[in-house]
Amino acid sequence: MLFNKRTERYFVWVFFPLALLMPLFLEQNTFYVSKLTTVMIFAIFVMSLDYLVGRCGLITLGHAMFYGLGGYIFVIIAPEYEAVNFWVYTFYICVIAALVALIIGFLVLRTSGIYMIMITLAFAQMAFYYFSDSIDFGGNDGVFIYVKPDTSIFGISLFDLDNPIHFYYLCLLSLFNTLFFFRLVIRSRFGRVIDSIHENPGRTTALGYNVFVFRLMAYTMASALGAYAGYLFTLQYGFVNPSMLAWTTSGSALVMSILGGMGSIYGAILGTLVYEGLHYVLEHLTEHWLLFMGALIILMVILFKNGIAGYLEKLLEKRS
Amino acid sequence: MNNAVILETEGLCKHWGGLKALDDISLKFHDRELHGIVGPNGAGKSTLLNLLCGHYKPTSGKIVHKGEAIDAIKPYAFARRGIGRSFQKTNIYPSATCLENCCVAVQRRMGGSFNFLRSRYRQQVLEEIATEALEKAGLGQRRDQVASRISYGEQRQLEIAMVLATSPCVLLLDEPMAGMGHEESQLIIELLKTLKREYCIVLVEHDMDAVFELSDKLTVMVDGQHLTTGTVDQVRDDPRVRDAYLGQGDEVY
Repeated sequence: MLFNKRTERYFVWVFFPLALLMPLFLEQNTFYVSKLTTVMIFAIFVMSLDYLVGRCGLITLGHAMFYGLGGYIFVIIAPEYEAVNFWVYTFYICVIAALVALIIGFLVLRTSGIYMIMITLAFAQMAFYYFSDSIDFGGNDGVFIYVKPDTSIFGISLFDLDNPIHFYYLCLLSLFNTLFFFRLVIRSRFGRVIDSIHENPGRTTALGYNVFVFRLMAYTMASALGAYAGYLFTLQYGFVNPSMLAWTTSGSALVMSILGGMGSIYGAILGTLVYEGLHYVLEHLTEHWLLFMGALIILMVILFKNGIAGYLEKLLEKRS
Repeated sequence: MNNAVILETEGLCKHWGGLKALDDISLKFHDRELHGIVGPNGAGKSTLLNLLCGHYKPTSGKIVHKGEAIDAIKPYAFARRGIGRSFQKTNIYPSATCLENCCVAVQRRMGGSFNFLRSRYRQQVLEEIATEALEKAGLGQRRDQVASRISYGEQRQLEIAMVLATSPCVLLLDEPMAGMGHEESQLIIELLKTLKREYCIVLVEHDMDAVFELSDKLTVMVDGQHLTTGTVDQVRDDPRVRDAYLGQGDEVY
């Protein structure tokens, strides 16, 4: 079974139907629709990070590099005043990001633990400073996207990216697909090897697996999906800027992943929702929202050892 | 009486800076024989094993497996050639079931490890081979239990079962009886007696009674040097061996 935990099945059955119906209630208020869209886009990003950190044991602080690259690759390869095809460019961006991840992963995955955190951070910072200093890409201001891609397949356009509701559903579908994809990968034979490597890399090598190659595959996969999330973000707001690449983006994604329950994959959605929800509420209550936010997150991490998903599982799973 | 030579070392050396952990070791390991390696602490037994499984790179000398020098290949490639090892410290996947532990081992040679779509739960053949390995190691009745919940002795057995599941031709066993009680050791001894009819086994062990009982050939190492190799009786009567063990007086077994 794909969703092998009862908690996860409940979650999928509650979250996705609710999310499907949400725009009906919020139709008058596109602000909330676009807010939710952003949350879902970021959830895709957090999910890809969660796979790396929680499932593969590869702790990276440079995942935002791919989030930003998703946007920048689009700006670099797409013509400025011409509508390109959304699907074709999705493919391009994922492939290019995967190639970049392959090269960077090749260097980064030679290290482990704290060194890997440092090296991934270094690469991300390199990308950050490159783009924030570059004249071609607008420096700190980033680049505007004047024409959004059109989404036709064989001349039939199913939806319009400029319509917030349509875009909302595109992101919801992407989020579901990402969850589905990661579940599929985790359930696969590849997933078995990844789990083994996570639990005991030395033993897995001794059994004849080339641990490096498996890690590289996982890293490439997760990075390409991270870039896809960045691409969606860029399309939603119509611009890219270097803050997408900043290490704080990686950092908050890591916090969301931990908050949601590391390695649970669906926990990434929970973590992102709760984090962004808290952010939104506290921001409107007080100027010093970060103070309370930090305190609340510390409290939650103490209370829920395995994140929100872990807590729900404790409540819902049958005890064996 | 000699079976074919499967694994061979020629002038194998491993130096850690100025320390010669292993100095010019040339040994032959034969098929379907249990080759015991003994020696006082620090004699280089574990280093030798780590070299044989590709975990360390030799400083000089080479390892020959079935007529081919294999010193330049990567550690995982040693395992693929059929050189399987068990570890001194229990080294398993504690959160998985015994069956799953062995399935990881079997899957490597059954393929599909880069298959992202095929479910790991559809795996009849895999499970059959894994179960077979578990039964061979005497763990058939623990098949579906989580590895961290079985007893220490059984975890050592699981360790051997995992090596068997890779369908090796050489078993490198690093103190499989370490930390075991008498009865549990006896179980492993019986197990090894049956296994040595099928595999080439290199056994590093501190339990002298066990080694004397099991070995077809015995090598004694002292301070990284090869002292002598012979049958159990030859080694037992060798005065140099007695010196090495008893002469210094700081190692008593």
